[in-house]
Amino acid sequence: MKKLLLILAFCTAMFAQVTKAVEVPYISYEIKMGKGFDEVNANCLMCHSFGYITNQGPQSRAFWKGKVDKMITHFKAPIAKGDAEIIVNYLAKHYGNGK
Amino acid sequence: MKRRDFFKTAAVVGVATVGSSAFGSNVAMREPIDSRTPQKINFPEKRPMITHSNRPPLLEAPRSTFSQVITPNDEFFVRWHLPDIPTFIDTDKYAIRITGNVAKPYELTLKELKEDFEQIEVTAVVQCGGNSRSAFVPITGGVQWGSGAMGCAKWKGVRLKDVLKRAGMKEGSHWVNFNGMEKPAYDKTPDFVRELNLDELNEDVMIAYQMNDEDLPYLNGFPTRLIVPGYYSDSWVKMIKDIVVTKDHTPLFFMDQAYRIAANATHGETPDHLAKMTKPITRMNIKSFIGFPDEGAEVEFQSQLVVRGVAFDGGIGIEKVLISLDNGKTWKEAMLGIDYGRYAYRAFRYSFRPNEKGNLSIMAKAIDHLGQEQPLAKDVPWDRGGYMFNGIDIVTIKIV
Ligand code: HEC
Repeated sequence: MKKLLLILAFCTAMFAQVTKAVEVPYISYEIKMGKGFDEVNANCLMCHSFGYITNQGPQSRAFWKGKVDKMITHFKAPIAKGDAEIIVNYLAKHYGNGK
Repeated sequence: MKRRDFFKTAAVVGVATVGSSAFGSNVAMREPIDSRTPQKINFPEKRPMITHSNRPPLLEAPRSTFSQVITPNDEFFVRWHLPDIPTFIDTDKYAIRITGNVAKPYELTLKELKEDFEQIEVTAVVQCGGNSRSAFVPITGGVQWGSGAMGCAKWKGVRLKDVLKRAGMKEGSHWVNFNGMEKPAYDKTPDFVRELNLDELNEDVMIAYQMNDEDLPYLNGFPTRLIVPGYYSDSWVKMIKDIVVTKDHTPLFFMDQAYRIAANATHGETPDHLAKMTKPITRMNIKSFIGFPDEGAEVEFQSQLVVRGVAFDGGIGIEKVLISLDNGKTWKEAMLGIDYGRYAYRAFRYSFRPNEKGNLSIMAKAIDHLGQEQPLAKDVPWDRGGYMFNGIDIVTIKIV
């Protein structure tokens, strides 16, 4: 019986670190303002932070078009055709590499 | 992949990467990004780390983490795919469902996991398949990690085989699917489900509930995660919810589209000539990384400098680690630390006194028991997903 109690006490201690909800900090990843920002803000935050975008570094228009297409075809992002174009223009302008 | 096949392919890769230069003129592999620093933000049970995203959390360890052979839990990298991750799990109610092509589907509680099966421990490295992806030029799909999306821990849990045995797998079973508790924000986005072939399940594959003698940190998959020693972390499903045995392969986005490489001997391809056939990434290739000193560090002329780092592979084991201080012209053997098993980091250290002022580049190269060694970064094959980078690490310091 003594042994059993010891084991129980041990188990409780091990779980002590997550006894209530943990809180993942909110980070507002800096993103450039400009034409198309509203569309990006409305369409690109549903599934992940802007960190996913800025982390890519400056890239070509074709790259950004490919990413927006990927979001729509593979991840089923509900983005209207017109918005997709505006977003690609925004990304190519503010996160572009001139190509 | 069967073990035998693995050794065959691995041997071919070793030969093919030597002196390969013609991946196409537009491919220019480089050293991964090493300039990012931890943000001043604490995630649950973590110290500040390089924060690529908070939602889902993508946290990378800085270089200094890799001067230790066991990665502390609060410095261990974090990689989730989908944003809806439970922030609290009631451990009394938590259970893993084991279903599918089995005679006795059941729910496995944490208590049963800890009491009903043989408890085992293994020290193993887990590394994101896309670790070091920022080395790939032109850029490839996915998070642009530096080299800190990896870690080595002592895992405690039970054999997956034992858990499956209790369910009684029926005839014709070939695959097992694993689904964790993370969910997409939008119900049409594919869920993160991974699949292993029963052939891949050896005695080392386990369901772990402890990491370095503590509960798994929440961000590393509390309360349980799959441990597949030698394999990249995409197979190490976190916060396990469902284990499903099937007869046939299940179509899955994160198996059929993501985490795949060219199905040729070098797994290389070029942006202009993408390979037609691809296969899932599985076993890790040989790699080493310097944890100390840091890039750009200033070191005093003629002082005693001890270079420290870690080396590992997918289970063959590290034979030696070589250090070069003259841009690869000559190599000297580093001292290896304690052997924690074939899936663990092998610590290395190399002591010397810099006797010339100015910039000094330190290179580290690991060699496995079969004689396979790491290529230079420029010779690592490019692939569209940016997987399996294992180029020789270079740290440049300043002797003052
Ligand atoms: C319906 C969900 C959803 C929406 C909406 C969405 N994404 Fe994504 N995105 C994903 C998923 C899922 C991933 C892969 C996550 C992972 O692997 O960690 C991803 C990854 C990315 C990446 C990383 C590179 C890569 O290829 O994985 C970029 C860049 C990106 N998204 C950009 C965008 C942009 C720009 C928008 C707005 C037009 C957007 N996303 C909207 C689901 C979405």
